[in-house]
Amino acid sequence: MSDYLFEMHHIVKEFSGVRALNGIDLAVRPGECVGLCGENGAGKSTLMKVLSGVYPYGTWQGEILWEGKPLKAYSVRDSEKAGIVIIHQELMLVPKMSVAENIFLGNEIKKPGGRMDYDAMYRQAEALLARLKLKDVNVAAPVMNYGGGYQQLFEIAKALAKNARLLILDEPSSSLTSSETDVLLSIIEDLKREGVACVYISHKLDEVARVCDTVTVIRDGQHIGTRPMAELSVDKIIAMMVGREITDLYPRVDHPIGEVIFEARHVTCWDTTNPNRKRVDDVSFQLRRGEILGIAGLVGAGRTELVSAIFGAYPGRSEAELLMDGKPIKVKSPEQAIRAGLSLVPEDRKRQGIVPLLGVGDNITLATLEHYSHAGRIDRNAELATVEREITRLRVKTASPALAIVGLSGGNQQKAVLTKMLLPEPRVLILDEPTRGVDVGSKHDIYKLMFELAAKGVSIIMVSSELSEVLGVSDRVLVIGEGRLRGDFVNQGLTQEQVLAAAIDAKPQSSAA
Amino acid sequence: MQAQQVQQFFVRYKIAALLLAVALIWIFFHLGTDGAFVTPRNIANLLRQMSITGLLACGMVFIIIAGEIDLSVGSLLGLLGGVVAIFTVNMQWSTAMAICVTLLVGLGIGMFNGFWVTRMRVPSFIVGLGGMLAFRGILLGVTHSATIAPVPDGLVYLGQGLVPIGLSLILGGVIFLTLLGITVRRRMRRAKLDLKQAPLWMDVAKLVVIGVVIAGFLRMLNDAGGVPVPVMILLAALAIFSYIASQTVFGRHIYAVGGNMEATRLSGVNVSRVKLVVFALMGLMAAFAGIINTARLAAGSPSAGTNGELDAIAACFIGGTSMRGGSGTVHGALIGALVMASLDNGMSLMDVDTFWQMIVKGSILVLAVWVDVLSGSNRG
Repeated sequence: MSDYLFEMHHIVKEFSGVRALNGIDLAVRPGECVGLCGENGAGKSTLMKVLSGVYPYGTWQGEILWEGKPLKAYSVRDSEKAGIVIIHQELMLVPKMSVAENIFLGNEIKKPGGRMDYDAMYRQAEALLARLKLKDVNVAAPVMNYGGGYQQLFEIAKALAKNARLLILDEPSSSLTSSETDVLLSIIEDLKREGVACVYISHKLDEVARVCDTVTVIRDGQHIGTRPMAELSVDKIIAMMVGREITDLYPRVDHPIGEVIFEARHVTCWDTTNPNRKRVDDVSFQLRRGEILGIAGLVGAGRTELVSAIFGAYPGRSEAELLMDGKPIKVKSPEQAIRAGLSLVPEDRKRQGIVPLLGVGDNITLATLEHYSHAGRIDRNAELATVEREITRLRVKTASPALAIVGLSGGNQQKAVLTKMLLPEPRVLILDEPTRGVDVGSKHDIYKLMFELAAKGVSIIMVSSELSEVLGVSDRVLVIGEGRLRGDFVNQGLTQEQVLAAAIDAKPQSSAA
Repeated sequence: MQAQQVQQFFVRYKIAALLLAVALIWIFFHLGTDGAFVTPRNIANLLRQMSITGLLACGMVFIIIAGEIDLSVGSLLGLLGGVVAIFTVNMQWSTAMAICVTLLVGLGIGMFNGFWVTRMRVPSFIVGLGGMLAFRGILLGVTHSATIAPVPDGLVYLGQGLVPIGLSLILGGVIFLTLLGITVRRRMRRAKLDLKQAPLWMDVAKLVVIGVVIAGFLRMLNDAGGVPVPVMILLAALAIFSYIASQTVFGRHIYAVGGNMEATRLSGVNVSRVKLVVFALMGLMAAFAGIINTARLAAGSPSAGTNGELDAIAACFIGGTSMRGGSGTVHGALIGALVMASLDNGMSLMDVDTFWQMIVKGSILVLAVWVDVLSGSNRG
């Protein structure tokens, strides 16, 4: 007789002879929130796929118990019937359908003849949202009218509509602002009190520390430990995850900062759908040799638009005057930008970074194929030599360079994309959220690489939503708010509060000369 | 366990599975026709029939890999076949000149299609659908819906002629020696760069198999009088397109554009130009196919190439090209074309009714893609 709602015992999952999971245990009590932590590639997603029936019963070894009885799920439907619902990292909502239609998608309330019973669905949707303390939502309006924070809560409502008793949240806060995250976490607390069990998967360990009662850590498919949160701290969880103590997450190296090499003047971008709205409004800045320039601001402030416009990749209308070494350069496309000495590592790795079906090596050389070719013909051996050198240098974990990149973990994909954009030997490297969805170990590697590059004289522009990262890495910090430059700080004794105040306050302020 | 290994083998070497399917189809028809199918004469015939779909499939496979589709090529084939007939018959141009101008026209129309897709951002499905109607309309207009004949002998040779036996033997030898040279050079170069080598026996075995295939192919066709000229042209197209796909920067860019256009653009690749060139190549291949079709019939026909685009697209999909773009091979598409041609030829020999032929071909297309989907989704 156990008081657990859900137990997994000694789960082993193999992919063509390679053990992705090697004896994982996970157990959740009703009303308990268990944090599942591990680096990218540790096996978290594989474990979740076993749990939710994506990998049907019988394709893995071990045992799953639901209320003490064996659970044999052959598909996601089976596990949902039992009461297990996963909320994925990427929101799975249909933007043009209404809130209520989304909440009951696949689970519609029907009138005779298969007609939709909208009245009942609207009523129940409102009741569900009230449970989540959302009162000002028009359930008949399309989902796309609401922001990311609301949408995440709609996902939870959708799960509750299926009578979820075990909620699995996979990186639920990755696209939320900090206040939206606060709301999400308090709602999880409420759900716990109602007896709903949760598994919370996140790289943001402060959130895990706040909301979880127990933490299970896995590494390389091995079960490292399960302990009550009361006995743990964020540092201890990191140590368990990486298997070594990362004493200094930001391996700062002093590097000389030289003369101004790049300048952007009057960068302005107009919204793609509303031609009167400016997403970036007359932003100018200078960049020195070997300088790391952090760009901070709230989500939607126009940071990504600013750097895309500089790189010639902004989809709508944009204007900018760019100077390299004091001479004007013309950048109307990424092709011209790369030729002018700029490189951009984009924000959305899946959509803009990798070509999923191509091999790791082919991805790495995509921007520099001309380097290994004569008269349009690729010298495959010269290419492979470069690829193998880079894979070793950046510690990209892949069985073979020919393997499709989509099979790699997030951190390793990010390293490959970074390498791709470094091979053209840029003088100005633009990184847009370089460590989003990246594990602690890879993060450390990426920071180290940034400092190495800066020491070699490469100038770096880094857009980041994580203030600790901006302050940990940058030499100088620009703050963007509502498309305007709101602050330009030298990063000496700069605090998160100062940066945040500038991001919210409309008055421009500056500590730099 | 055994079945799983067999399955994994076929997932990795899709081409082996396709060849096995071709072999089964051939055995079936050979038995069904009491030994009339695998004869030098019929195989020559079959390959000749396949060459036109094959030429279209060469261009189409690039289009599909790049994530687009072109429905206009059947009509375009007809139009360009009509154009070459008008040049030679009505306008009395020399064959060489007529062919060159027709190829240029094909290239130009392909670029025009590409321009609408890339610059004007009209979905390629729509551009193709529009072209399918419009090109057929132009063909009916310029030919006044009448067959144009007789085309000159020089042109007819391209469709009906045979390559002299001596020449084909020399070409076969040259191809084999070139492959031998490439293999030796690759081994030397890899040794110099300190890269991993394939085992020696594997390279030797590969070369032996290739040698046997070339010898058998020549022996078979030379027994029927020689290699048909269209087949030789198709083989040249196979070599050139495979080379582009696997060895060139442009080829790699096609796969990248189809795999993730946004990521490719941000890597500094001019994606519009890649697509434009792919469409231009499609137009060029439609011109080749149109010329050979007219040569084969010895006349320009207003109904030539009807449904040609469907055969070409089906060949690509049977040959393992991904519907969503980003993967596929030229040789796969040509084996797909061979499957389609074998079905046509075999069923005709067996005196199967046309309606049955259509039902069987349609079903095989769906089945082939289903098998492909099955093997794809089971990848660990």
